[in-house]
This record gives sequence, C-alpha cells and structure tokens, in this order.
Amino acid sequence: MKKNFIWYVVFFAIAIVYPHFVNPSWVDIGTTFALYSVVALSQDIVLGKAGMFDMGHAAFFGIGAYTAAILNTAYNIPIIYTIPIAIILSALFGIIISWPIIHLRGDYLLVATIGFNIIFYQALQNNVFGITGGPNGIFGVSTPVIFGINIASQRAIYYFAWFILLITMLIIYNIDKSKLGRAFHYLRESELAAESFGVNKRFYKVLAFALGAAVASLAGVVFAVQYAAVSPETFNFTQSVLFFTIVIVGGPSSIPGVLLGAFVMFVIPQFFREFATARYFVFGIAMILTMILRPQGIWPAKFGKLPKYIKES
Amino acid sequence: MEIFLQQIVNGLAIGSIYALVAIGYTMVYGVMKLINFAHGDVVALAAYIGLTVLMQAFGMHVDKLWAVILMFVITSLFISMFGIFLERLAYRPLRKAPRLSAVVSALGASLAIENGIMLIWGPNIKVFPSNVFPSARWHISGVIINSTQIAILLLSIILMLALYIFINKTKIGTAIRASAIDQDAAKLMGIDVNSIIIAIFALGSFLGSIGGLFIGVYYRELYFQMGWIYGLNAFIAAIIGGIGNIPGAMLGGMLLGIFNVLIAGYVSNTWAEALTFVLLILILIVKPTGILGERVAEKV
Amino acid sequence: MKLKNLLWVVVSVLFLATSSFAAGVIKIGVQAPITGSFANEGQGIDNAVKMIVEQQNAKGGLLGKKIEVVTCDDEGTAVGGAICARKLVNDGVIAVIGTYSSTPAESAEPIYARAGVLQTSDATADSLTHHGYWTFFRNSCPNSAEANFTADFLVKDKHFKRIVVLSDYSVYSSNLADATVSAIKKLGGNIIYRGKIQAGSQNFTPILTKIKAMNPDVIYFSGYYTDGGLIRAQEVSLGIKAAFVGGDSNDNPEFFKLAGKAANGVYMINVPRPDILPYPLAKEFLKDYQAKYHMMPPSIWTLFNADGLRAIMYAIEKTKTTDTKKLAAFLHNLKNFPGITGPITFTKDGERAGSRFMAYEIYNNDQYKVVYKED
Repeated sequence: MKKNFIWYVVFFAIAIVYPHFVNPSWVDIGTTFALYSVVALSQDIVLGKAGMFDMGHAAFFGIGAYTAAILNTAYNIPIIYTIPIAIILSALFGIIISWPIIHLRGDYLLVATIGFNIIFYQALQNNVFGITGGPNGIFGVSTPVIFGINIASQRAIYYFAWFILLITMLIIYNIDKSKLGRAFHYLRESELAAESFGVNKRFYKVLAFALGAAVASLAGVVFAVQYAAVSPETFNFTQSVLFFTIVIVGGPSSIPGVLLGAFVMFVIPQFFREFATARYFVFGIAMILTMILRPQGIWPAKFGKLPKYIKES
Repeated sequence: MEIFLQQIVNGLAIGSIYALVAIGYTMVYGVMKLINFAHGDVVALAAYIGLTVLMQAFGMHVDKLWAVILMFVITSLFISMFGIFLERLAYRPLRKAPRLSAVVSALGASLAIENGIMLIWGPNIKVFPSNVFPSARWHISGVIINSTQIAILLLSIILMLALYIFINKTKIGTAIRASAIDQDAAKLMGIDVNSIIIAIFALGSFLGSIGGLFIGVYYRELYFQMGWIYGLNAFIAAIIGGIGNIPGAMLGGMLLGIFNVLIAGYVSNTWAEALTFVLLILILIVKPTGILGERVAEKV
Repeated sequence: MKLKNLLWVVVSVLFLATSSFAAGVIKIGVQAPITGSFANEGQGIDNAVKMIVEQQNAKGGLLGKKIEVVTCDDEGTAVGGAICARKLVNDGVIAVIGTYSSTPAESAEPIYARAGVLQTSDATADSLTHHGYWTFFRNSCPNSAEANFTADFLVKDKHFKRIVVLSDYSVYSSNLADATVSAIKKLGGNIIYRGKIQAGSQNFTPILTKIKAMNPDVIYFSGYYTDGGLIRAQEVSLGIKAAFVGGDSNDNPEFFKLAGKAANGVYMINVPRPDILPYPLAKEFLKDYQAKYHMMPPSIWTLFNADGLRAIMYAIEKTKTTDTKKLAAFLHNLKNFPGITGPITFTKDGERAGSRFMAYEIYNNDQYKVVYKED
C-alpha cells in the first residue's frame, strides 16, 4: 500500500511538471490522456469490477459533453453548474438504459450496449429535439470559472483535467475498499454465490452502470471545454471500442493497468502522426500480440492478496 | 403493393448476403464463444481479392462464365485459408485466456486487415465491372427483378442447403454440432476440437467470401472500411436468429434484410440504424437467445 | 486580452521568422486525414502538396530557400485537428494546407490564428470565414454559394416541380443540402422529400423505392461520388424516371464507373472543370500528378488545396518575406491569380471570391457539356 502510494505521488508529480517541458501539442495530448483515462476508469467500474460486458460507454461520455455544451451555449449556464446536472442526467440514463437489459448474459449485454451507443449517435446526428446541432455539433462552449479563476489557458485546462483524474482515482480507490467493491467482486466472480450471500444482484449491477455513467460524463464536460466544441463523431461506437480496448489491454479492475492502457492505446499512436498510412496496420498487429503475450492485460490486478485485517487477526 | 413487393425483393437480395456472412459469426461463436469482429473485414478482403483475380487474370474475359466461376473458386479457397491462418495467429493462442482478451485480439485483427487493404489497394474506391453477370431485367407486374438478384438468391439458398445437409448428415458436421453444445464432452467422445475449429473457420470464411463477392458483383463498389457495415449487420442477424444456431443465422439474415428495407421505406430512413437496434434490444429482452436459439442451462 | 493576443502573434511571428531563417528552409504544413474515412482525400492533398513543393524546389525553392513539408494526420476529427494544429505550429510551419473537412478545420482555426500561421482549406462550412481570423483562407467556395446556384438551376432553369433532396450525415453534405433546400424554398420551388442516407451503406434501394412512389421529377444529392454513383445506378435499375443532379463532390471519374450507362443524362454542379476549360495549369497539374502517383487525384478538392498552396507560394515570392502578417495582407488583396481551379481572388475575410459554378450534363458515359451557368 505504502509503495503504491509513493508511485502515485511520483506519477502526479511528473504530471504536474510535464506541461512545462513539452510543446503545446503534447500538453493537449496530456489533457486528452487524462480525460480518456477517466472514461476508461469509469468504464472499468462496469466492465472490470462488476464484470458486465459494456461496449457503449462513449455514449455516457457524450451525454456529459453535450449536456454541458447545450446548457452553456443555449441557456448561458456557467460550465461549473453544468457539471452536477451532467452527472445526474448521465447517471439517470445509466439506470434507465441498464434496467431492462441488466439480466442479459455476457455477449448479449455487449450487443445491447453497442446498440445504445449507435442509437445515441444517430440521435445526435439527427439533431434530436433540435438541440444537438446535428452533424455540426455545437461550437463556442465557454470555459469554467472556479473561485474567480478562469480555466481558459491550455495549461489550466490540463491541470483541471488531471484534477478530475485524481478525483476519479480516489473514487475508484474508495469503491475498492468499500462494501460496494466487495459486492462487485462477488458478482463478477460468481453471481450465484453473490446472491446467496445476500447481494442484491440487480441493484448492484444497475448501480455500477449509474456510477460508471456519472464519472464518464464528468470527463465529457471537461472534454467539451478543452475543444470548446462537441460533435457526434467523438462519441460514436468506434470510440467505445477504444475505451473497451484500453481497459482490456491495460488490465481490468487495475488502476495502473487502465492508465497504462490509455497510454498505449491513445498516446503511443500520437508519436506516429507523420508516418501516417501504415500506423493502424501495425497497431492492429500490436493489439493481437499484446493480448497473446499478456492475456490478462499489461498490468493485471492482483486479487490473490488478502487484506491485512484478515491475515493479521 | 408494387412498391411493397419491390422492397421485399430488394430486401431478400441483401438479406441473403447478410445470411451468408452471419453463418461465419454464428459458427465461430457456437464453438468458441467468441465474437469474431474481424469477420466483416475478411468479407471485404474477399471482395478485393475477387476483383484482383478477375481483372489481373481475366481482364479480357470478365463476362465469360468460366472466368466468373474461377474467380469464385480461387477467392473462396484463398479466403478459407486466410480464415484458418487468422485463427492460428490471433485466436488459438488465446483459447485459454479471458474471453474479452480474445475479443480485443479480434478487434486488432479487424484494424490490421482494414488498414492492410488500404495499404495494398489504396484508399480510393475500387469498382467491379458491371458485366460479371448478364444484366437482364424482368418486369413482373410492376416489380423489377434483375439477374444478379436472382443469382444471389439462388446461389445463397443452394449454399445454405448444402451447409445444412453437411452439418446434419456428415460425421464432421455432427462433430461441429457436438463441440458447439459442450466442448469438454466432445473431447471426451474423441473429437479433436482443434480440427473442428479449423473446419469452422474455413467454412465460415468460405461462406463469407461468397458474400463478399456478391457484394462486389451486386453493388460493384469496394472501399477499405466496408467490412464494418456488413459485419455489424450480419452479426445482428446472427443474434436475431439465435447466435450459435446455423439455420437461425440464415433466417436472421433474411429477416434483417426485409426489416431494413421496411423500416427505411415505411417508418423513417434517418432513424433506420437506431430502429434496427431497438428491435434487436427488444428481441434480446423478450427472448435473449434469439428466435431459434435454445435456452442453455447455466452451468453452476 | 486583445493586447495579449497581439503580443503572442508578434512573438510567434518573430520566432518563426528567425527559426525558419536560421534553418534555411521554409516549412509548409499539411493537415489532412491520412487515415480514417476520408483517407483517400487526405492522401490526395498530401500528394499534391509534396509534388508542387518538389517542383518548386527543383526550380531553386523560394527566396533562395528550400521548402520543407511537414504532414500531420488529423483523421478527420475535431480532436485530431486541434492536436495537429498545435503540433504544426510547434514545428515552425508558416502556413498549413488543408484540412479536408470542416470539423477539424474549425477546431484548428483558433490555434493557427493565435500563432499567426496561415491556413488554407477547402472545407465548405460557411462558418469558417465568419470567425474573423486573419489567418484563414478558403480555397474552395462556401456551401451557400453552391446552394444558391443549384436552386437557380433546378427551379429557374429546369423548372422542376417535384424536387427530392438527399444528403448523407457528414457536416459538409447535410449543410449543403439544408442550404439548398432553403434556397429552393426562397425561389418558391416545391420540395417533396428531404432524406438522408448512410454513407457507405451501398444499399440505397429502400429509400429510392420509397421515393419512386412519390413520383419526383428530380433527385438532388449533395454527398460524395462513392454514394452518388450507386444512387444513380440503383435509381435507374428501379425504373425511376427522375433526373439526377449531383453536388460538386459527385464530380469524379469513379462516379461514371459506378453508375455505368446510367451516368448519361446526369447533371453535375461544380466549379469550372479543369479538363474542359482552357486552363493549361490544370492540364499540366493532372498530367504531372498522374505521372508521379499513377492515379488521378481523388477529387476536385485536391486541386483546390493545391491552389491554396500556390497562392501562398506566390505571396512569398512577391512580398519577399515569410512574415505571415504581410503575406496575409497580400493575400487579402490578391486578385485573379491564375489557378488550377480558375482565377483566385480572396475577400477581406479570407473567402475565395468570384468562383463561378456551372451545371454540366453527362453524355456518352463520361463526356461533359455545360448546360447552365450564371452571368
């Protein structure tokens, strides 16, 4: 635990000095890395912790971004107040969407979540209720003002995104340590056993979706701020596949694993923007090799260790 | 009424292509419990190979029957081998791994094939010659049917009947069905599951390649990302019919083809994709195993 | 805030001027979708820029310096656009050619403006020139100009009475279709159906069969040739008698391959075509491009971007400087510079002025004749 803590401190210390040593395009990449990590961690609540196959998580990311963009541009609500609204709305969506399909097994759930993502995407494109801006999306999202400080510069947004990542990691850490985390763990390992322990299956599964949706929407709000704009293609099914892959490649239910996954799947391709044509071919092969060499993910979670309070008593 | 019948005719043509591709998904899923996300791209690859064979080898004789038959034979053999190769490379090493790791490997294979096509054939579209099948058209009480549609429908039905007989009447077919029901028990009965998996990849890719060539002959336009759209639709078809169930995939393909044209024609074209998924989710909620899928008792 | 921006501009311009001087090269950026759905268009832009730069370097470069091309793949997305913009600015380019589509062009715009880097794109969203960035130059024509011309052609010239308007879901195509719909309505035209197709889905018979029942006399499609050629082919094979009018992105040799015999009688709306109008530049460009890459450019948009590059190179030559402020001032006053796609004139807000659209009719499978132009 202590050793882990030191590593996290080092990780964030590097993140703090990072933007002072790199050029602006890499600051942007750092910001998006933090936000993608938040989404991937939130997806991991559903996929890794509760063990439900979810391949439509970009929809919740999008609900956050669009809520902020619509409320801010059409109703002039400051970004900072759109955050709680986005979180509540997204969590509600998570509950409503997952409720009827939660009993579906493995791959059927995966297909249903893909379906929700595609329905969401088509709704954005069709300018549903005349508020999403259709294929254009929405431009001119303003920047948040916190305690009188306007988060407008590239670096300020970078730190804001990393602050959100820190909060997300704390939330995940607390889930792991709580009754909730244990309930998820039992559900993933054996639903039947979990139910016989008195874990309310449906309640916890829907809760996992609601939590995952809420955290993803938080990242969505910051994403809308970073690019001052939202457009449908950022939240399509391909994007969900990316988040899904981040979690599985990195290591499900492992915070360092998911962060590493986001690094491998999002940051590494950025090095090759100039050698453009062949890079996704090589990347596809690399995905296969990674899974063959590290089938549990690059940095898998360790479940073998018993908590101290059990060992010592 | 004419309009309605016209829609049905067109729906059956696209539906039989979905059905051919869906069989590949369903066979692999049945035995390996793996969603082979690369299957759609294998189908696209088949169309590109077919065009290359046709233009390179028979450029002068594209309208000759023997050239067309040879295109089908060479392409389907090549793609069957490619399917075996794909399984060996990307899936076999992961057979004991967590299921989602194999899914990611499939996604990686999909990305690699798609971009490999772009590197080999370039990012521009490729166009199939228009005279591969004779271009006859018939007007039957206001409904227009062309020869390509009839060829696709007939050939698909013949292939699917052949597959059905193969699966139900031969030894290998029985072994495939047995492996789909319970791999461990199949092993105990002396079935070599490895060869069965090779067989299903070869068969699935074979049928998929025919589907890919039909796409080329019927729509005549190839682009490197086309595998996704056909793959996703065929996959939906497999689920509607009951994934793992071969007649189910055939039925699901036809139903989806008809459903697609009816939705786009009579409900809303702009919401067609979303409505397809609404239907799919409704089916999953009411009957999670699909139309022909059998309820599998959960292992405890 | 304004002062700060100005300071930024001055500093970066100074920085850029000195850095490119020190290196002895002039750096030109290409922001284009090299992978993803628009990969062919992106690679076309990249190819064209590299070819023209190669030719110029063979002639001794610009101001005695070699030109160096830096390419960045924006994948056609807003995120990619912003990242590329920051990267190219950092690499010290003085001007960026591209990108192909409106979304990444718009997300990149403010970054180039703040850094004082010139940007010339073919993207057609009207909003691109409405932000007031002095660095942006559109090398094609905005949607609204084409929409007005199309409406005139359909309503005033051909007197179509039952008009169907189709688009795909892309920003470009749906905006062009929407603008055309409102222009038609303004002229009192009768639109009986406005539909959208999923690009690349290939099976357009459901919507066409539905349209057949409405008995239209014209179908206007604002999307790309990859879909347009198939729509036309399927329209004819379903026995629909309506005329087909294609927006500028339909105008591509592949359209005729896809449509086959059905191409005859199709109307295309486009700027003057390079190969039938007396622009020796265009013929030369197409010849060189084909010799170097063994294929035709993917579309007219490649040529627009090539013109953007040529205008910027011309500005550098004339002003004898790489100071982007001076270059922008020169370009804003550029009049009738001979281009591959016709004379190039920029307005004060970076809009390309004076490009005239024409309507062509196709005969003999791939021959053109002009049937309508505005004067």
